[in-house]
Amino acid sequence: MVTPLRRKLARDLRRHGAQFTAITVTMFLGVTIFAASFDSFRNLQASYAATATEFHFANLTVNGGDVEGFAASVGSADGVDRVETRSSVDIPFDVGGVKLLGRAIGVPVGDQAEVNTLKVLQGTYLETSETVLVEEHMADHFRLTPGDRFEIFEGSDWRTVTVAGVVSSPEYIWPARDRQELITSPDNFGVIFAAQSQVAAIAGGPNEAIVYYEQGERNDALTAELVDVAQGFGASSSYTRDEQASNAALVEDLRGLEEMAVFFPMLFLTAAAMAAYVMISRLVHTQRPQIGVLLANGFTRRQVLLHYLGYGFAPGLAGALPGAIVGVLLARAITRLYTDLLAIPVTLIQFYPATLVGAVAFGLVASLLAALAPALVASRVVPAQAMRGETPIGGGKRSLLERLIPPLRRLPVPWRMTLRGVGRNPRRTVYTMIGVVLSLMLILVSWGMIDTVRHLMDRQFIEIQQEDATVYFAAPATTSEVTALVDVDGVVAAEPSLTLPAVLRTPTGEYETALNVLADDTAMHRFAAVDGRWIGLPDDGVTLGKAARSLLGVEVGDPVSVVVPGLGTVETTVAAFVDEPMGTMAYVARSHAETLVGFDLPATSALVAYADGVDAAALRAALTARPEVAAFEDAKALYSVMQDFMVLFYAFVGVMLVFGASMAFALIFNAMSVNIAERTREVATLLAVGTDRRRISRLITAENLMVALFGIPLGLVAGYFAAKAALGSFSSDLFAFDLFVAPATYVWSTVAILVVALVSQWPGLRAIRRISIPKIVKERVA
Amino acid sequence: MTIKMAEVWKTFGEGHTAVHALRDVDLAGPQGDFTVILGPSGSGKTTLLNLVGAIDDVSRGRIEVNGVDLAAMDADAKTAFRRESVGFVFQFFNLIPTLTALENVELVAGLTMDNGSDRAAAVLEDVGLADRMHHFPAQLSGGEQQRVAIARALVKRPPVLLCDEPTGELDFETGRMILSLLRRVAAEHRQTVLLVTHNAAIGDMADRVLRLRSGEIVDDFRIDDPVSAEALTW
Repeated sequence: MVTPLRRKLARDLRRHGAQFTAITVTMFLGVTIFAASFDSFRNLQASYAATATEFHFANLTVNGGDVEGFAASVGSADGVDRVETRSSVDIPFDVGGVKLLGRAIGVPVGDQAEVNTLKVLQGTYLETSETVLVEEHMADHFRLTPGDRFEIFEGSDWRTVTVAGVVSSPEYIWPARDRQELITSPDNFGVIFAAQSQVAAIAGGPNEAIVYYEQGERNDALTAELVDVAQGFGASSSYTRDEQASNAALVEDLRGLEEMAVFFPMLFLTAAAMAAYVMISRLVHTQRPQIGVLLANGFTRRQVLLHYLGYGFAPGLAGALPGAIVGVLLARAITRLYTDLLAIPVTLIQFYPATLVGAVAFGLVASLLAALAPALVASRVVPAQAMRGETPIGGGKRSLLERLIPPLRRLPVPWRMTLRGVGRNPRRTVYTMIGVVLSLMLILVSWGMIDTVRHLMDRQFIEIQQEDATVYFAAPATTSEVTALVDVDGVVAAEPSLTLPAVLRTPTGEYETALNVLADDTAMHRFAAVDGRWIGLPDDGVTLGKAARSLLGVEVGDPVSVVVPGLGTVETTVAAFVDEPMGTMAYVARSHAETLVGFDLPATSALVAYADGVDAAALRAALTARPEVAAFEDAKALYSVMQDFMVLFYAFVGVMLVFGASMAFALIFNAMSVNIAERTREVATLLAVGTDRRRISRLITAENLMVALFGIPLGLVAGYFAAKAALGSFSSDLFAFDLFVAPATYVWSTVAILVVALVSQWPGLRAIRRISIPKIVKERVA
Repeated sequence: MTIKMAEVWKTFGEGHTAVHALRDVDLAGPQGDFTVILGPSGSGKTTLLNLVGAIDDVSRGRIEVNGVDLAAMDADAKTAFRRESVGFVFQFFNLIPTLTALENVELVAGLTMDNGSDRAAAVLEDVGLADRMHHFPAQLSGGEQQRVAIARALVKRPPVLLCDEPTGELDFETGRMILSLLRRVAAEHRQTVLLVTHNAAIGDMADRVLRLRSGEIVDDFRIDDPVSAEALTW
C-alpha cells in the first residue's frame, strides 16, 4: 500500500517535474558515462590481454648481440614459455610506384612462429620463401590481396615478391615504427613478414630474440634476469611488452579511457548532487508549515528525515538505474567499435555485474548525500514555529561589490536590486557558480585536448621539422649526391641525414632512441630549448629530447655513452635538451659525429625542402623515379594523417560540449527556478505597482547571468588546470603533452556557458508570465 | 478620477465548483472619497479591490476608470494604468527585502518620474521615516514597514489608493497611526481611497462605507462627519 507520505513525495516530484527531470538527466549522464567508459576500459583491457595470450605476444624483445646464444641460454629458464630468434630490418618497398621505408620481419616458412604469432586474415600462411605476408594496415592502404605483387629492396637490388596472405600481428595493432615514430602514414611505413632466411640474408643474420612467458607474479623479476642475461650476450637493447611501441600506444589510449571513467562521471555526479541539493533545500524551506503539521501530528523526525531523503533517492534511482543499464550496453557497442576500428584480433565483451551495481550505487550515494543536509534541516524543524508560517528571512544588506566599490551604490535602484540578489542566498549562488565551473572544466578539458594536439602538430610539423620529405638512398650517398637532388625541379634544398638506432647510457639509466646526424648548420630542423628559445644545433655533444633528462638522470654537460649497433660505443656529453612534442630523439652535428667515430659518415637519407606551391605528388614521383632513391617519406603526409585523427577528437569534444551544456543547463535551470520561486511575492508586487513583465524578466535575467559571469573566470582557471592535469598524465617519452589552450577557446567556452545560462532561464521567465498577482500579494509567506 | 462598476461578476472555477466572489456589483464614487469596504472573510472585498486595481479581470460586467473600460485594456495598458493611476498598500507590506526603505520607494518612483530619488526621500519624510530611510525592511518594525509601503504607493501621486487590510498585521496603536497617515495624505493630494478591512470600527473614519457579504453589496452609506483615526478604538 502506498503510504500518504509516499503519495506526497510522488506528487511533489510531479509538481516540480522539470527541475527533478533536470537532476535525473544529469545523474543519468554521469552514471552512463561511468558505466560505459569503465566497462569499455575493462573489455578492452581483457581483449588486449586475450590477444597477447592467444598470439603469444612477446614479453621481452632483445635486439643485437648474440641473440641465438641468448635464446639457447634462456630457452629452458624457469618461467620462460617460448623463445625464438628472428631477423628484422627496415628496407625500402615499392608498391605500385610508391616507395616507402618499410619493415621486413623474418618468420618460419610452413609453420607459424611460436612467439608473436600472426593471424591470417586473407590467403594463406607463408608456404614458400618466395612469397610474403603483408600486415593488414599496409594491405588495406595499398589494397593488396593474395596474389598481388610488389617490390622490396634487398640491399643492392629490387626483388618482386608475391603476397601469400594478409595478416594481423600483436606487434602492429597500432602501426608504429618505434617509440620515436609512434604515428606513421601508410605511405611512409608498412610491415611485411617474409621467410626468415630471406630477411636474415638482408639483415646479416638473426638480430632479435623474442621471449614469451605466461603472466605471473615473477614477471618483473624474470624480465630483469633475462635483460641481464641478454647484456651478457652483447645485446644492444631490449624492450618489454609494455614498452613495445604499438602496445605502449594502446596502453596510453586505455589509460585515457580509465581517466575518463573517473573524471567525467565525477563532474556530472557532483553537478547532479548540487542541483538536487538546491531543489530539495528550497522544497524544505517552502514546506516548513507542512513539516510542522507532520511532526505535530505524531510523525517521528526519522520519518520526516527519510521522507525528504526520498527526494534525492527517487531522481537518483531514476537516473542511475537506466544510466547503468544504458552505460553497460553502450560499453559493448564502444568496445566493438573500438576493436573493429583498431582491428584487435580478439574482442572480449563481458558483463561485469560489479560495474552495474557500482554505477547505481555511485548515483544513489551522490543523490542521497545531496538530500541529506536539507532532510536533516526538515527533521529538526520546530513544529510550533513552522506552523505559524514564520520562515526566517535574511536581513537585507548591501552587496559585497557595493561595499568594495562605493560608486556602485549610485547605480540605478533596479541594478542595485540585481547586485544584492546575487548575494541573497550565498549558498545557492556558490552552487550555481560551481555548476558553471564544472561545466567549463568539462568543456575545457575536452577542447583543451584538441587545441593542444593541434598546437603540438603545428609545432612539430611546421615550426620544428622544416623538411617536406625524407629521401632514403639505395646505398650510402655522398654529399654531392645529396646536393644533386636540388636539380630536381621543385626541390629548393637538400641536406644529408643519417638516422641510426642508438642506445644512450649513463650510470643511472639507459634509453633506446633514434640518433639523427644532421648538417652542422641544418636548416631542415629547428631546435626549441626547454626555456622556449630557438637554438642552433650545438657543435659539440648530443642534443636530447627533454624527457631524456629524467630517463637518463643527466643534465647539460654530463657525459653520456652512445651505443650504435654495428658502429660501437662513443662517449660524448649532453649539449642541450630540446622541447619537441613527438618522441625523445637524439641529435648530433655531422662534424661532431665524424670526430667521435673518426671517419667521414655517409648519408643514408636526405632531407629535402620544396618550393612554395609545388605539386607534392608529382615531386614525390620525380624523386622516387631516381635510381638512387630507394624510399621516400612525406613529412606532410604524417601531418595529414594526424589531421584525420582529429575528426575523432572533434566528435569527442562535440559530445562533451553537449554534455557540458546539459549539465550547465540542469544546474542553472534549477537555481533559476528556485530563484524565481523565492521571488514570486516580489515579482507580483512589482507587477502590481506597474512594472512591466519584460523589465522584471530583464532584472532577473541580469541577476542570473551575473552569477554565471562570476563563475566563468573561476571555471576558466579550474578548467585550465584540470586540462593540464588530464593531459599531463599522458606525457611520456612518446609525447610531450604540454597544455595549450587557444585564446578563442576561452572566448567560445564563455559564450557557450552564457548561451546556456540564457536559455536555461526561459522556463523560469515563462513562469513569471503566469504569476497570479492577486494570489501572491495576499500570501503570508512567499 | 472616477471609478464606476456596473453589474460586475467575478467567478472562480467552473461548473459545480464555480464560486462567485462578486455578484452583480454596482459602484460609483466621486473623486477624493475615502471609502472603507467592510465584510467578513470570503465576502469579496479583496477581489473587488483587485478588479479596480486591474490586477484581476472581471468575469462579467464593466469597470470604468475615467470612462475607460478596464476589460478592454491589454496587459501593457493595464500595467501602464497601474503605474500611472493606482497605488497599492498590502496587508503584508510586500517590500523588497534587499532594498532599503528609500530604495523601495525609489524603485517605484523611477517608473514614472526622473527626479524619483528626491521625491522618494520627501515622501518618506512625509510619512515620518526621515531617519529610517536607509534601513532595510528587516531592520524596521511592522508599522515602519507599512509606512514605507504607503510612501511607495504615494510616491507616484496616483489618483487612486487601494489599501488591502493595511492594519491587519499591526498592533492597535500602530494601526491607528497608519490609518491617520492614510487619511491625511489622501486628503492632501485629493486621492480616492478604497480601503478593505474586516474591522468594522475603521468604517467610522470613512466618507463612505460599503458592506459586502457573499459577494454582494449589502450596505452602502455615506458618513457626513467621520471621526478622526486617532479617535478610533477596537
